Amino acid sequence: MAEMDPGTLITFTTIIVSGVGILLGCILPAIVEGRAVLKALEGMVRQPEVADDLRGTLIVAMALLESTAIYVLLVILVLIFANPLITQLITGE
Amino acid sequence: MEGVFPQVVFRIGEIPIRDTVISTWVMMALIIALVAILRRLFPDTLQTLVKTLRDMISGMMGRPTASYLPFLGTLAIFIAVANVLGALPSIPIPAFLIPGSTEGRMIPVVSPTHDVNVPIALAIIVLFAVHYFGIKEKGGWTYFKDLISPIFLAPLTIPLEVLSELSRTLSLSVRLFGNIISTDLIVAVIFSLVSWIAPLPFVGFSFFTGLLQAYIFTTLSAIYIAGAVESSEVDV
Repeated sequence: MAEMDPGTLITFTTIIVSGVGILLGCILPAIVEGRAVLKALEGMVRQPEVADDLRGTLIVAMALLESTAIYVLLVILVLIFANPLITQLITGE
Repeated sequence: MEGVFPQVVFRIGEIPIRDTVISTWVMMALIIALVAILRRLFPDTLQTLVKTLRDMISGMMGRPTASYLPFLGTLAIFIAVANVLGALPSIPIPAFLIPGSTEGRMIPVVSPTHDVNVPIALAIIVLFAVHYFGIKEKGGWTYFKDLISPIFLAPLTIPLEVLSELSRTLSLSVRLFGNIISTDLIVAVIFSLVSWIAPLPFVGFSFFTGLLQAYIFTTLSAIYIAGAVESSEVDV
């Protein structure tokens, strides 16, 4: 690790961090969204007359939950495609 | 990955014109032409469309929408068309239209919303529209009084209000941008692996995501506006 040059080290770290980050950032929102759908479906089965209200609320809530995964994705896209550290390294401090 | 991120096509003076701007012009022309044709040939269809939009928005807000429909309807139509526009092929530009060039070029039509500036602009418009409608509905003084409602907690509520305004503007814009660019990236990755038939389902998926995001953006704007215009007087 010590004898790597800075560019390799940054790339190496970026790849590992991206992998771990997208893993966690996909798993956690997916679990929480699954719970939301589960509860909404239970509510719809129990009271079919409020199904339309529940569906609208469910879609909005899913979008709000989904956006946390999107934030992770955006940070990782920046890390991969526009890494500020590598840019700094190339242009020279 | 070339076509995924916005690129500067040409410059007017010092101002760079990106391909997303050109796509927005194409989109404006398309929408205007479509509405003109619909209005001339099928006025009933246009009426039904607007009625559907109105019912959808009034369902979201839970109140009559006469004064908010122009704003929210425009947002919905703009974002919905912008998100699905990326499926159009490139526009050929002949050489005589490009100053200082001897050969024509192809300009890809991309979704205007996958340049991060467009969602940010839309979210900032929503940020100001919320306060505009709130002040218009309740009057300036009442609106600000409601905003900082328990007056003795004002030092605590004002920073929280400002923070929540900023964070919801950020999340509105980043949600739209992130969804559109991620589906575009998926299509680009599949396209670079297998360039026939295989990307088609993902194009369909990007249509679905785009329309859903337009719906969500409009819904959230409607909810924010409804929160600003409804009276905070507690019914006892």
